[in-house]
Order: sequence, then structure tokens, then C-alpha cells
Amino acid sequence: MSYFLLLAVNGLVIGLIFALVASGLTLVFSVLKVVNFGHGSLYMLGGYASYYLITALGLPSLAGVAGAMIALFLFGVVFERLVIAPMYTDRVERKDEYAIIVTFGLTILLTNLGLVVFGPFAKSPPSFMAGALIFGPLILPYDRLIAAIVAVVLLVGLTVFLKRTALGQALDAVSQSRESAAVIGIDPRRMYTVAFGLGSALAGGAGALIAPIFALSPSMGDLPAVQAFIIIVLGGMGSVGGSIAGGILLGLVQGLGVGYLPDPNRALAYTQAFGALLLVVTLLLRPTGLFGRSHLRLE
Amino acid sequence: MLRPSFTQGSQILLLAVALVLPLLAGPYWIHVGAIAWYYALLAASWAMLAGYAGQFSFAHVAFAALGGYASALCAGQLGFPLPLAIMAAILLAAVVGALIGALVLRLSGPYLALFTLAISEIFRLVLVAEEDVTRGMQGLPVPGLFPGRSDTPYYYLGLGLVVLALGAMNVLLATRVGLFVRAIREDEGAARASGVDTTRYKILVFVVTSVIAAAAGVYYGHFIGILTPNIAILPEMGLVIAMAVIGGIESLTGAVIGAAVVFLLSESLRSYGEWRFVLMGLALILVQRFAQNGLFPALEQLGRRRAGPRPAASAMEEPSDG
Repeated sequence: MSYFLLLAVNGLVIGLIFALVASGLTLVFSVLKVVNFGHGSLYMLGGYASYYLITALGLPSLAGVAGAMIALFLFGVVFERLVIAPMYTDRVERKDEYAIIVTFGLTILLTNLGLVVFGPFAKSPPSFMAGALIFGPLILPYDRLIAAIVAVVLLVGLTVFLKRTALGQALDAVSQSRESAAVIGIDPRRMYTVAFGLGSALAGGAGALIAPIFALSPSMGDLPAVQAFIIIVLGGMGSVGGSIAGGILLGLVQGLGVGYLPDPNRALAYTQAFGALLLVVTLLLRPTGLFGRSHLRLE
Repeated sequence: MLRPSFTQGSQILLLAVALVLPLLAGPYWIHVGAIAWYYALLAASWAMLAGYAGQFSFAHVAFAALGGYASALCAGQLGFPLPLAIMAAILLAAVVGALIGALVLRLSGPYLALFTLAISEIFRLVLVAEEDVTRGMQGLPVPGLFPGRSDTPYYYLGLGLVVLALGAMNVLLATRVGLFVRAIREDEGAARASGVDTTRYKILVFVVTSVIAAAAGVYYGHFIGILTPNIAILPEMGLVIAMAVIGGIESLTGAVIGAAVVFLLSESLRSYGEWRFVLMGLALILVQRFAQNGLFPALEQLGRRRAGPRPAASAMEEPSDG
């Protein structure tokens, strides 16, 4: 039982980080109708940004996380303006393919740039807080606890922002209909930029939060990116609430799967494959996802 | 919409260059060239699938892995004679290609990309996990096709496969099929309303391109002599996409040239390490941003325009472009 609890709590922490990555991907998808295949590399970039803010500039750990989110927001805004925005002009044919190729190109570019600039060896920023919370049989390192708490704060903040603020409602309006939003005076182009910046910031924040728990490496974003794809399909493309639920669910399933399946090599491979299988089945049987909003279908 | 294509003259010239190259190059570059043909097969068939038919698939390298592993396992564990093992692998790829083509009929754009990405990952993870059959990351030994240690026969086999695949795809695209496939890409509903059997042609394209990818995998496996699941990792798919997009996603010959140039460049710049792939990612984004039809079709158009009304002259200018 205590083993189960340990696995479940760790799965929950990882699930919250997944949810954070996926909510950024969802935000970008719902507003721009673009799946950002470079999302994982932004997660990686966020991790390194906070590492250098903390170790080189001597910022406190949580300020490093905040700084990484700001840096990634700016990066996302610039990338959207320079590379994605031309998609909405007539000069670009095959818009779907364009978006996939440039964002996937970003992954190739950033992952390899990471290898050259940051080096292939794992780096670890200092802990948020040394030690662990011991509660009966449950041992939870403070790093994980703090990452989980910050992730929850960010997810709640995002939800409130989207529901209660004018900018958030404008984003939601564009996600529902570009044309209608434009009619009531919202500039969709501006919302695309804001959404891509926020999505990048959320990925970067997740990378910065995970940094003290798992070490940083240039390819650290590959796996969370695939997980985020799975989550947003499961949660219904474009539904932020759905990605939060999907993220936590996937984290739990994988945490428990690795712990309970007999052969560790197979367990690791098949818990990952299981997520991918969920994606495949969901797309085939219920393309709006488990928690999807039907108006967000692209087809 | 005018689709830029390569003149026959320039294609024949490039083929002649490819034919005599092994006489001038050392064994290392023949080896590199033989691997380049593997990527050329993948890039060209992916260009047909993604560029012509608009079905953006991330599972193309997984089909290469399917072909390579199937042939190796049939020859090794099941004891098939080599030709039979290769035929079985190709047949399997055709069946799986038809199956996946049928499954993804209703998916398009990012949904199709995510679906094929997931299928590809599942297959790769199974290859990693089922060590008893595939030997996992240790690698599966594959028997060679030719006696002796020279790579030259493989080079010419690869070149032959590229010519054959290009010929087959071009013949197919020159018939009504090519027209239908492009019509489906531009507007599937309109194509269906005009009486095009969209289901049939979408599946057909998937089968043809999957078979070529599997053939590439079979060739690669028997040539290199060992297969690992890393043949189907996402960065490999990225390489193929970059080659096709840089070369020209709507020009099969362009994709082949893209594959050869990108691969030869990346080999000759080995001393620059990962900077090569930084450059490749950047080139991928820039080409897509500024020359959507690819670098080589754009260069050729430029050359043709400069040559003015004399079409014969444009063929003479091609080698400097490729």
C-alpha cells in the first residue's frame, strides 16, 4: 500500500508537470489551430534559461523559474512574429504542412543548438529546497512538492486568466471563431502572438520546474513533447481543462505502470507505448477527445 | 499554379554524374553515397506522400524499419531464402500501408501528423521492448546481399532503386492518378463531388510510398548489416523531412537531390559536430519560410529564366545547381 502511495504521489507530481506542458500546447492549438511540434524544445530552453539565471546571475530558484517564463514568452512572441505569422498571408500555400514543418524545424534547430551551446552532459541547478517531506510511509522530496505546488498555482492562474480577464476572454473568443472575434474588434493576429508567447512560457516554466528534479539535457524535451501530444488529443484538442485532467491521468498511469509491470525494460517501453496507443484510439474513435469542445474540431 | 519540374536533360546529366562518381571516389565516399541513396528513396517517396498527396506522415521511417526488420527476421529466424524474405517484407509493408492508409482516411493536417507520430513511436517501442525477437538496442544482425566487402555493388543497387522508384512514381503521377491525388490535396470534398474515388486513391498513395520506404529499409539493413530501433527515431524522420523540404517537397527529383546534398554536406562537415544540424534546422525553417517549393526547383527556375528563350541552355547550367 505504501509502495502504491509513493508511486501515485510521484506520478501525480509528474502528471502536473505534464499538464503544464500540455496546457501551453493546447492554448497555442486552440487559438492558432497549429500543433506546435517544437513545444518540447521550448520546455528544454526554459530549463536551461532558469539554470543560467540561477547559477550565473545568482537569482533565487523561484525567481529563476519566473525569469525563464518571461524569457520564453519573449522567444515565443518573436518566433511567432517572424516565422508563424506569414502563414496567415496568401503567400503561404499548404498552411497545415507549413506550420508542422517550421515548428518541427525549430525542434531540430534548438535541440542541436542546445548540444553545441549547453553541451551534451547533464546539468543540474540547485534544489528549490533541500530535504524531503516525510509523512508516514510517504517520502516526498521538497523539490517535487514545490514543483507540484507551483504547477498548480500556474494552472489555476491560467484558468482564471482565461475565464476572468479581458485578454483571456479575447483569446477564448478567437479560439472559438476568428471571424466573429474580428467583428467585435479583437485583432486575431495579435491574439495569435499572445497565445504563442504564453504557450512558450508555460512550456518553459515546466522545464524550469523539472530542472532540479531530473537533470537538464538538450534532448530532455522529446519525451514530454510526445506526452503533451497524447494529453491534448485525450483531453480534446484545445481544451485547457481537458489537458490538465489528461496530464494528471497520464502521469498516474505511467508512474504506476513502471512500478508494477514485471520486466523494467519492457515496462518503460510499454507504458510509453500505451500513451501513444491511447492517442491513436482516441483520434480514431473520438476525435474531439474525452473532454473536447466540439467547435474546436479542425476537420 | 505552375509546378516547377526538372528538365529531362538535367535529370540525365545528374544520373550520369551519379554513375561515374564511384570511379573517382574512394571507398569511404562510395559508402556515404550508398547511404545517401537510402535517404533519397525515403525523401522522394515522402515528398510524394506529403507534397503531392498532402498526407503529412511521421511514420515514414517506421515503414523503413518495418521493411528492414521483416526481411532480416524472415531471412534469419524463419530461414527464408533472401529473395523470398525481401518479397515477404515488401508484401507486409504493402498490407500495413493499406491498413494505415485506410485508418487515417478521415484524418488530415495536424491530426494525421499526430496519428502517424504515435504509430511510429509504438512500433519503435515494440522493437526496443521485444528483445527476444528483435534483440532490442543491441541490434539485429542482417545478412549481406553481395559477397565480398566492397560497397560499390550496394551503391549501384541503391542508385538503381532510386531510378526505379522515381520512374514508377512519375509514371503513376503522369496518369490520371496524379491529377486525382492533387485534386484530393487541394479540396477533398470537391474532388469527391466530381466523382473521384478519394478513398481508393488516398490508400493507393499510402501503399505505394510505404512500399518504397520499406524497400529502402530492406536495402539499408542488408547493406549496413545491423539494424537497431534507432532507424525509426524522430530525428531520423526529421532528417528525411528536411531533405525533402529543402530539395523541394513537390518535386520528386528535387527531394532526391535534397537528400544527396544534405547527406553529403553533413558527412563532409563532420568536424563541425552538431553545428551541421543547427544549420539544417535553420535551413529547413528558412526554405519553408522563403521558398516553399524547395531550393532546387527555385534555383532551376532562376536558371531557366536567366537562360531566356533557349530551353537547351538551361540543361547545361544545371550541374552547378545540383
